[in-house]
Amino acid sequence: MNRKLKRILLNWKVLLLILFLIGSIGSLYARGLTFGIDISGGVALIAQTEEPVDSKTMELVVDSLQKRLNTFGLRDISVEGQGNSIVVVKVANVSSTEEANQLKQVIESQGVFFMEFNGVVFGTGKDITYVGPYEIKPDNSWAVPFRISKSAAEKFAELAKGKAGWPVDMFLDPPVNSLLVVPQDVFITMNGTAFNAGAPDAPPLALRIKKALNITTVMYTNQSARELKEIANGKTIVLAGVPRELYDQLKAMNVSVKYIQSEAGTDTTTFVKEILGLYGPYSLGEGLANGVPQTDVQITGHAANRVKAEREAKTVYTVLKSGSLPVKLRVISMEFISPKLGQDFKNQALYAGLAALVAVLLIVYFHYRNWKIAIPVASTSLFEVIIILGIAALIKWNLDLPSIAGIIAAIGTGVDQQVVITDELLGGERSARITRRAGALKRIGRAFFIIFASAATTIAAMSFLLVYFVGTLKGFAVTTIIGVLIGIFVTRPAYAEVARYLIGEE
Amino acid sequence: MAKGKTQKPGQTAEVRAKSREKLRFLAEMEPKKMITYPLVVFIVALLLLAVHFPPLGIDLKGGVVVTGEGISANPDQLEKELSGKLGLEVHVESFTSVSGSKGIRVYAPAGTDPQKIIDILKEKYPNADFTHSEVQPTFGEMAKKQGMRAIIFAFIAMAVVVFLFFRNPVSSLAIIFSALSDMTIAVAVMGIFRIQLTTATIAALLMLIGYTVDSNILLTTKLTKRKEDTIEEAYLSAVSTGFTMSTTTLGALLMLWIISTSPVLDNIAAVLIFGLLADFMNTWIFNAGVLRWYLSRGVEL
Repeated sequence: MNRKLKRILLNWKVLLLILFLIGSIGSLYARGLTFGIDISGGVALIAQTEEPVDSKTMELVVDSLQKRLNTFGLRDISVEGQGNSIVVVKVANVSSTEEANQLKQVIESQGVFFMEFNGVVFGTGKDITYVGPYEIKPDNSWAVPFRISKSAAEKFAELAKGKAGWPVDMFLDPPVNSLLVVPQDVFITMNGTAFNAGAPDAPPLALRIKKALNITTVMYTNQSARELKEIANGKTIVLAGVPRELYDQLKAMNVSVKYIQSEAGTDTTTFVKEILGLYGPYSLGEGLANGVPQTDVQITGHAANRVKAEREAKTVYTVLKSGSLPVKLRVISMEFISPKLGQDFKNQALYAGLAALVAVLLIVYFHYRNWKIAIPVASTSLFEVIIILGIAALIKWNLDLPSIAGIIAAIGTGVDQQVVITDELLGGERSARITRRAGALKRIGRAFFIIFASAATTIAAMSFLLVYFVGTLKGFAVTTIIGVLIGIFVTRPAYAEVARYLIGEE
Repeated sequence: MAKGKTQKPGQTAEVRAKSREKLRFLAEMEPKKMITYPLVVFIVALLLLAVHFPPLGIDLKGGVVVTGEGISANPDQLEKELSGKLGLEVHVESFTSVSGSKGIRVYAPAGTDPQKIIDILKEKYPNADFTHSEVQPTFGEMAKKQGMRAIIFAFIAMAVVVFLFFRNPVSSLAIIFSALSDMTIAVAVMGIFRIQLTTATIAALLMLIGYTVDSNILLTTKLTKRKEDTIEEAYLSAVSTGFTMSTTTLGALLMLWIISTSPVLDNIAAVLIFGLLADFMNTWIFNAGVLRWYLSRGVEL
């Protein structure tokens, strides 16, 4: 008995399994498991570029987003470009929905930055050479200091000479080249002196944006969608605070159109700033109107409370700092999982895995009435799970819920194939007692034909999931494939040896 | 050989023999009937799909889901309340997790601000824990297309592998049809139980391709490659092995389904369970019928 036990333990297939097990436990111990955001909590966003891009541009988008989110003060970020239009962003340790929504805003703001004076753009995002840390003052006003290039500063000095007190505008993602349709009160405000920073001689905002950014502002006086289309003459139409039906009608006419809703309780000036992405206007200080170029400038603002002030300052800071994205992104799918819910899912998956193993043990026992079969079958499955987890730890695979489903599915197929091996070894009704070594080998060979064929089909099917699916289901395919490979090369051969020792050859 | 050691496997063999006896009725069925019944079920499934296709989940059509953990509420009442306050149709579901804590899921159309739903719920249930996801219809479109493509390609890949392994059109086509029927029936049952078609359930359908081919391969191998037994004997031995295989897998999946409250895990488990049940019929009745009918004509496979 002892000699036989030793022989089975020294069999190379069994040794290989033991080696893999030790390696996996070591890998789990040394590196630990990392979990996907649907378990550890966090946000998964899928964004699409406005138009398909080449791989170089995609790289740039990924880089720029990574940097931008880093400046935003987040850690544990993964940004991954998929195909020619999809960017998957995963951020761990996000604990509130507000934070999640803010992330979405940062990703969607392309960050095309314009500095404008008297209807002339004197600098863009590229002219920003340095961004200083933002400041929040006790009155909830905030400031982001930054430095502009010499050429922008010179252009500005020339434009601004002798115009002390005139407004300086800064825009983040303004709707350039568009027809802006606004209600009467907004139109009047934009054409009045409200945005002149107290300089009545300066041209009104509507005129400045027309000249600098080619934004034509018209008042909404019940024009029909057709009339608006004619006025726009091919430009994008931006509907702000006008009836929503117009949007649908224009959309139906295949006109490029954007709708900006006016939130209840927002005053007209705030609404205008929101429409245009306007920061400012800032009154031109005496010191800047003397024709001498000045490179150190700042954007300031004011918010209702400290949290909001901090958020605004941080957004401006992030956008200034990380520069413009080469293409605009739209978040098309967003998932936020709170860490607590994720923890629940993890526990459930753990219990479900254990329960599945126990179920397998009992059902296999029920079928064979033999613990000598049931225990090896269930423990082989357990070993398989340990090895899959060990490999996941080794390659730092983020275990998410689909990955876990894949592992549990692997328990299912693994057991199937062990049953095939067992039954082949047990043989037919009468031949059970006379199964000899040669017979056993032949039978095991037949079992492995079945196992290889089904492994090949599973891997073939899963590879397409891996290649053709965007988003979050890749984990399922990865763990299933790892499970199948481990199964055919490591655990099943070892099980076959052990089973042959326990039930076949005696 | 010592007798004591053979005793256990001997007993095991007896248990197997008994279970085989119970399954003998399958072996005695007429091949024609074995082919007809599953075909009828397949056609019924197709008809069901035509009138009652499973609903698309939000990740395939776009929409918003807010999950609140730690909320014990009547979903219908909450649905009315939320719909009234938001001015749009929402759908509310409740669930209980394995630890006994209750929660709700609110489904709203695409474009709804999840924060608004959360704000309303937070007022009523300040201690609840919230999670949300939103999907734009454009993503849904893309996911739908990719899902279709993944399933079609996976199916073709499976078919090619099966052909390569068996190199016989009849047995290969029988396997491929079984897999197709399994998937069709699984989707039809999803329609009956109103289980949503999501990216997760599409993954489960792909998994089904791998799963169901297992038992078919077992059957075909045993019937065509085991020459020392009679066809009936080989079939019975395959069916008893297959029965063990299916019940253990079903057991594992059932545990997953019972214990998890995550819609992703639940739906994957449910679809695999439906598919496996369908596979039982398609492998051991349909495919076996085809093979027995074919072999009875004295053709060498």
